[in-house]
Amino acid sequence: MARLVLMFNKQVVKEYPLMKDSVTIGRNEENSIQINNLAVSGYHARIDAAGNDYILTDLQSTNGTFINDKRVVSQKLSHGDNIIVGKHVILFVGAGEAADSKSSALKSDLDKTMMLDTAKQKELLSKQKESGQTPELSTKIGVVSFIEGADLGEIELKKKLTKIGKADTSEIQLSGLFMPATAATISRRPSGYVITTMGGKIKVNGEAIKDSVALKDFDTIEVGKVKFQFYQKETSEK
Amino acid sequence: MRVNPAALWLGAILQIKSYGITDVGLKRDGNEDSFSVEDSLGLYIVADGMGGHLAGEVASNISVEIINKVFRKWVEKDTSEDEIFGEPDSSLSRKGNYILGGIRLANRVIYELALEKKEYHGMGTTVVVLLVTPSLIIAANVGDSRIYMVRDGEIERLSKDHSIVAEQVEMGMMTEEEAENSPLKHVLTRNLGSSEEVNPDIFEIEPANNDRFILCSDGLTDLVSDRELLEITENETGPEAVCKGFIDLVLKRGAHDNATIISLLLTDIERPKNGLLKRIGFLIEDIIIRFGKFVKKIIP
Repeated sequence: MARLVLMFNKQVVKEYPLMKDSVTIGRNEENSIQINNLAVSGYHARIDAAGNDYILTDLQSTNGTFINDKRVVSQKLSHGDNIIVGKHVILFVGAGEAADSKSSALKSDLDKTMMLDTAKQKELLSKQKESGQTPELSTKIGVVSFIEGADLGEIELKKKLTKIGKADTSEIQLSGLFMPATAATISRRPSGYVITTMGGKIKVNGEAIKDSVALKDFDTIEVGKVKFQFYQKETSEK
Repeated sequence: MRVNPAALWLGAILQIKSYGITDVGLKRDGNEDSFSVEDSLGLYIVADGMGGHLAGEVASNISVEIINKVFRKWVEKDTSEDEIFGEPDSSLSRKGNYILGGIRLANRVIYELALEKKEYHGMGTTVVVLLVTPSLIIAANVGDSRIYMVRDGEIERLSKDHSIVAEQVEMGMMTEEEAENSPLKHVLTRNLGSSEEVNPDIFEIEPANNDRFILCSDGLTDLVSDRELLEITENETGPEAVCKGFIDLVLKRGAHDNATIISLLLTDIERPKNGLLKRIGFLIEDIIIRFGKFVKKIIP
């Protein structure tokens, strides 16, 4: 079954299977898809089934209806089309993902990589100049907090790769008679922060590590005689 | 291929065995993927183009060419971070910034070309870039092509998928399994060519001996699981056998899309170490500092 996926700021708000022959989109709550946003007209657009196809019609809305980056009055929907209504994007997913798909052409279409078209959305946003209170994905940054052996307070791990050791080029420079130039590194990876020994004696929560260990909040790390704790905090920076 | 890129990374050595392969598959008419293997730079790129007619192929090709070209130029001139394309990212090394600049520049060129020429309208591409040096591995990506690292019997992704489902998984709104089966699986939130600016994910880690890397387009990962990637990478003899093993498997499973794979094996890493003299120097320095503190204590 074909369906519509309502999205705001690249995030899925809700999915609507296209069960009826006619679906309306608008701010008024009588619509099948209600979008409570001032950029959306009371009755903004309509989608009608026509045989195996669906036709989108703009209901003379104030801000217009766009498919991908083109303003439309009425147009047949194709799989992957981005319908832009105000600040929202509605993705049209054609029937055919089901196993009983009658046409393999349609199926292979679904395998094709598509780009979510938000360029027009951004343009509309700037045109309407509405205050952009957009919820953003919160990002976290790792912090190490020194407990023993070094008076460094708290250091944010601002680099993707943080070197710990005696060398001047270390992001975290430690002294000590037997401290190697680089004792360990902490890298930020897609899965989180990882500490790797580079020849120093490294303990995480009291246990000596051989190669690498993923760090969890409040792990205690010992590099020789220096002891510090790792945790992550929210940051506004990207 | 067995190359020693020591000429560029003076003072340090490593051996890279590499192999790259692309296959049109069984369902598509053309191949929209592009890739490059540049052992002299330690730079490896895979791009998966999208857009009608030849546009996808053009976009993926441009991204590979431009990133290679500007990276080489900036490395040879040891260009400062401030002179790359766009604002430098202070969380990255200098070479990390070169890759960032290269991706941004490629994006801008594809974007402008797509606006300018009707036949290129709507074209775009994913890209994954891996730089290998004796002291640093840099992995960058835009879109849903991937970079994997196999180390100590485990497989780890060094790229982040920029797709609706991957973002949902990250926010905890969808499980990995639901994402695999979602009809939105192939809808990207970032690519090169669709907007004026692009924000790649870039990771920097330290290399280790026997590290293996895989760069690939989704033609591979749609049909082969991470678990299988690990098994084949560990069981095959070298990068060439790994690549051919993957292509065989993809073809056996229907190959609905183009598949491109680069496989790497790192050995004989020698980092520039502190010589004995330097270490003795460190020790003497330490003793002097400590002695100084001691003297201050007894003679206030």
